[in-house]
Amino acid sequence: MATAEQIRNGYIDYVLTHGEKPKSIYSFVKSLDIQESEFYEHYASFESIEKNTWAELVVETIDAVQQQEIWSEYSSRDKMLSFFYSLTELLKRQRSFIVYSLRENGSNHYTPAPLSAVKPLFEQFSESILNEGLETGELANRKFFTKRYKDALWAQFLFITKFWINDDSAGFEKTDEAIEKGINVTFDLFQRSPLDNLFEYGKFLSRNGAFKEKMRF
Amino acid sequence: MREQESIPTTKTQRSAKFVKTGFQIGGNYIKHYSKKLFNPDLDREALNEDNATDIYKSLSELKGSALKIAQMLSMDKNVLPRSYVDKFTQSQYNAPPLSGPLIVRTFTKHFGKPPEKIFDTFNTVSTHAASIGQVHEAMLDGKKLAIKIQYPGVADSISSDLKLVKPFAFRLLGMSEKELNVYVAEVEERLLEETDYELEVRRSIQFSEACKDLDNVVFPTYYPELSGKRIITMDWIKGKHLKEFLKTNPSQELRNKIGQALWDFYNFQQHELRAVHADPHPGNFLITADEKLGVIDFGCIKELPDDFYEPFFSLVSAGILDDKDKTIDAFRKLDMIFKTDSPAQVEFYYKAYREMIGLFARPYLDEVFDFSKPEFFEQLYAYGEKIAKMPEFKQPRGVKHFIYVNRTNFGLYTILQELKAVVNTATYKPKV
Repeated sequence: MATAEQIRNGYIDYVLTHGEKPKSIYSFVKSLDIQESEFYEHYASFESIEKNTWAELVVETIDAVQQQEIWSEYSSRDKMLSFFYSLTELLKRQRSFIVYSLRENGSNHYTPAPLSAVKPLFEQFSESILNEGLETGELANRKFFTKRYKDALWAQFLFITKFWINDDSAGFEKTDEAIEKGINVTFDLFQRSPLDNLFEYGKFLSRNGAFKEKMRF
Repeated sequence: MREQESIPTTKTQRSAKFVKTGFQIGGNYIKHYSKKLFNPDLDREALNEDNATDIYKSLSELKGSALKIAQMLSMDKNVLPRSYVDKFTQSQYNAPPLSGPLIVRTFTKHFGKPPEKIFDTFNTVSTHAASIGQVHEAMLDGKKLAIKIQYPGVADSISSDLKLVKPFAFRLLGMSEKELNVYVAEVEERLLEETDYELEVRRSIQFSEACKDLDNVVFPTYYPELSGKRIITMDWIKGKHLKEFLKTNPSQELRNKIGQALWDFYNFQQHELRAVHADPHPGNFLITADEKLGVIDFGCIKELPDDFYEPFFSLVSAGILDDKDKTIDAFRKLDMIFKTDSPAQVEFYYKAYREMIGLFARPYLDEVFDFSKPEFFEQLYAYGEKIAKMPEFKQPRGVKHFIYVNRTNFGLYTILQELKAVVNTATYKPKV
């Protein structure tokens, strides 16, 4: 009986060797010398193999970062930075496949198909980190916008992975820079900033319009 | 903030200038993109020019004594490379500190494990900024260590910033790019070398070994096994920076002792090793509690090839400057007088450069030189002012090696002046 891992490895080997998906599940299982039913036992389609591979990478990353001794001392910002540094480190192991799967599946979409299983996982992880930051006061709680913070982080996830597949610098140093700068900017926006104060001030002035009238000399 | 305290005030002030430039450049980008919203045809040229103007403006506003001296020896035009040097060695203050996770990442990349697994303790908050990175404190086997970590992408940004600024800065100064390229290439080469931490460790070990017998000069021990492309591990030297040291009102005897150590350190390298620590920046030295000079940064080394060393230092040796033919011959070898110069030009440059070299060589002439006397420096500045106004110096002259040799020696003179030290200058004499 073939395991999920064997099938997945067979599939990855196939797409990387041929540069495209197998013509059909029938031809694929034949090349692996297994029964079609064994394939369906683990996966519904080729797409689900790709989705699963991605999801496993992200789950592994989350596990790895949370096991660091220093994790509990990190701020929300540091936790997110740590996640992305570890993610790109793990992605390196399967770079060919990652590049294939993102290039193959139209990068025009907001969320490329292979990443559809990753999105809820990452969002859940982001939310727990964001909530911690909101509780400690590291991040600003803004009506309506607070709920969108995780979307900004997902946008960073997509940007960073796409940046990484096109990165040709030694040791993917540029990706490190992209992470450091991008996540810092994003978290800067999540924090209380002069814009919040400006907004508050504007609200105050508009509420006190009548008072302003009386101030005229 | 703790980080800020350890930076000498002059550096902080100078960096403020660059921070301002940073804002202006940021502003230029905003200006550019908002203009572009309405006028999509607007090209990047306009933006680059805006940036170069601001960068250059801020560079030329830096009127420290160091710049004046550089201005003088750089013969006005070479100021630009010098400004580049300053700009890029100071740019550290624009860089935000590295995040904890990036530090961990840098370590795992090089050593396969995080810093807390390598050292007994590791402080993730940096103690101060180094030229292109930051310094952390760690303990291992009861020893206090200094760990320098480089910012990612530094090498890359040096090249791209130079490319960006170069053509516009040249145009602003009204000179040809071709003429200056040889100097800019020299600066770029040194700056890029500074980003190679593996090279720095090798050189640090080599130079501290070669200089180990000098009196009153100490070096940290370097740990190549704990260093890599972007990390340098060395012993933590405890001491005061020059500014702090001077605040403690040291005795004249102590000033002389430190001044002598500096003089010996530089002249031993120039004349015995023919390669010199070319960054006599006050931040690279510490004065220890037991009255020794600690040298902590070997990022910038200038090698002195024979075809430069011999003609140049022959001029410094007594007697040659009085022999006009020999002097002109040396000037020709150093490209300070060109083959194509008319006899009148030869005469002009001979006089101007003779005065300059005469000033430069002054400390070597007697056995003992008192750097506390203001006259010497006043003459230097006056000469610099004069040269800056002369149209004859609009064209760059002198071989490329001058940039760093001048920077080194005049940097040394400036520090000795600040120390008000009386130095025995006969310890390591030019060998020609």
